Amino acid sequence: MIDAALIDKINNVLAEEFEVDIQKISPEAPLMDTLDLDSLDLVDMVVLIEHNFGFTVVAKDFVGIKSFNDFYHFINSRIDEKGAKE
Amino acid sequence: MKKEPRNEWSGKSRGGATGYLIFVFIIKRAGLRAAYALLSFVALYFIPFAPRATASVWRYSRTILGKGRAASVLFVYRNYLNLGISLIDKTAVSAGLGDRFLFEFDEPANVSSILSGNSGAVIIGAHFGNWEVGAPYFGKYGKRMRVVMMDAEFQSIKKVLEEQKQLDAFSPIPIKDDSFSHIFEIRDALERGEYVAMQGDRLTPNGKSAEVEFMGRRALFPLGPFVLAARFGYPVIFYFAVRSGLRKYRFHFSLYEPAKRQGTVRPETDILNSYTAYLEKTVKASPGQWYNFYKFWL
Repeated sequence: MIDAALIDKINNVLAEEFEVDIQKISPEAPLMDTLDLDSLDLVDMVVLIEHNFGFTVVAKDFVGIKSFNDFYHFINSRIDEKGAKE
Repeated sequence: MKKEPRNEWSGKSRGGATGYLIFVFIIKRAGLRAAYALLSFVALYFIPFAPRATASVWRYSRTILGKGRAASVLFVYRNYLNLGISLIDKTAVSAGLGDRFLFEFDEPANVSSILSGNSGAVIIGAHFGNWEVGAPYFGKYGKRMRVVMMDAEFQSIKKVLEEQKQLDAFSPIPIKDDSFSHIFEIRDALERGEYVAMQGDRLTPNGKSAEVEFMGRRALFPLGPFVLAARFGYPVIFYFAVRSGLRKYRFHFSLYEPAKRQGTVRPETDILNSYTAYLEKTVKASPGQWYNFYKFWL
């Protein structure tokens, strides 16, 4: 179960960075299409994740992320991994 | 930001590996002078047989430089000749003949300080002059130079690099249409303290661009190199190598320094504006070494 506060934080950060109406973000919505991401936006995504959630991402992390729900689970699992190591 | 295909480059440069290898053979067997002599005929061949490139150089000469018809005919020939000389020279340098060239450096102290430090750096060049001829120079700082290029372009020169045992030294980061892996490779290289070199003057297929006043007319520049430079937060150095005589080059460097009062200007736009200002100044001093052979200006 993912903390609702974390989902809110992710939604707010994404909506602000990519200038998208937060109402359009829902767990099943397609991430790339909803945020209108291209390869340059992915640079922003990489920096955004590192700055807001405190871990580094690699290319294979993005494999399989289709929806916002996938993205929430990815962020959550990496935060958990980071916490376990600390 | 917008997607704009009007002056788009295909991602692949003209001239195949065979042509390069013929010149490598001549340079090694008959010397540089023989290669230059052959080039004088090859440059003539390109005028009728590369009509799109010839048209673009003609427009550049007539519209941007304001030359007359007769002067433009000569300019087109000299432009191809200059490109050929730069290809021969970079081949000669990579083949270990660098001691036959004279290199001069216009390197400010702030650039030397960055290059001799431990930090990675983004190096932004252009399809102008002969930046590759200076690539070995960066090696004196003991760091690896990673060159970002379109995968199609990389595939076309891969055979040459393998033949010359330069593939590892060149360390390309290919941009593939169906993958974002180059973004992570660039970030990782910078984190390791390597230099990442990109060309800031050529659009990539489907890439975002920005319209900028350049040499007196509007032109589209790619945003990719400038977004990467702005986001990853490493020093940004503009670098051009200009041929100043026969077997003589001058390297120009400039460290990007953010504008003190940017206001609403995005960081990538600020870097792009600094880059185009420095590029314009350098191109105006050597207009015959500009090698974007497609409809560059809007």
